[in-house]
Amino acid sequence: MAQVAEIHRLALDDQLARNIEQAVTMAIQNTFGTKIEPGRYEVGEGMVSLSGDVSGVIAMVQNQLEATLTFCLTFEMVRDLLPQIVGRSVSVTHDMAVDAVGEITNMVFGQIKTELNARGYSLKLGIPSVVTGRGHFVSQFHRGRYMLIPFHLQGQILQVHIALYEGADR
Amino acid sequence: MSQFAQLKILIADDHFLIRQFVRNTLQEAKITNIVTAADGNEAIEQVQKAVEDKEPFDIVFLDWNMPTISGIEVLNYFRAKPDYADTAFVMLTAESEQQNIMKAIKAGATSYIIKPVSPSDLSKKLFEINEWIKRKRHSSGFTK
Repeated sequence: MAQVAEIHRLALDDQLARNIEQAVTMAIQNTFGTKIEPGRYEVGEGMVSLSGDVSGVIAMVQNQLEATLTFCLTFEMVRDLLPQIVGRSVSVTHDMAVDAVGEITNMVFGQIKTELNARGYSLKLGIPSVVTGRGHFVSQFHRGRYMLIPFHLQGQILQVHIALYEGADR
Repeated sequence: MSQFAQLKILIADDHFLIRQFVRNTLQEAKITNIVTAADGNEAIEQVQKAVEDKEPFDIVFLDWNMPTISGIEVLNYFRAKPDYADTAFVMLTAESEQQNIMKAIKAGATSYIIKPVSPSDLSKKLFEINEWIKRKRHSSGFTK
């Protein structure tokens, strides 16, 4: 009889937090040469509204799971990071900020997906989106569980949020 | 003079951040002949024009996901043409799954670099790629 590969359910646990922390710190350190410090993560239920100026959003799906990963930061943080690449004399524009967050989102989520799939999760990622606007809110309308991890850089906070819904087979 | 100083390099990536990051790292290695392209179509045009002008690129960095034509399609396009056999095509991408790496290597990628990459790791890869170019040109009798 053919064996059916076991698909793991995504847990909002220490291991997932470590994977996310590693992906974010590596993306920021390698690209900008800047160390970003992860804070204490939080796991809860229900809706959390993230507030920032630039956000990267991506959907993750598996047979019995749907999730949204959001990467939310302030324009001030982007303005602190980008001169490492473009030079101090260049003014950071809105387009530059969108470009940078889009690519960092891409790198972070690509790495998380690889880490999780190597552990048997078989996750697929949706198309990454970047949302911009001073002081915007990103809200996930669901009553499932979430994980929120703050990262600190020079007084600024970057937040990574995962909203998770585990339902019937899709 | 840096061993890399004579290299002519194309960076094809739709993200300004990465084009600038790679350019900075190459400039640290004393490479000055650097051209950029923001999509796959522009990359193909630049690579073809460089050969027509008898100033071919030594290394072409390709992002996987780009507008118009993807990096893997650009790679397939040039690897089907013998004129570009000595050019190093390097995938520089956030696509880190094994199946994609194998697909690119089978298509003839000289190297596969997963983003995010640090400047020091990119420099190490540059050394390996330069060695590949030397071997390739030594065996084909090419001189530049």
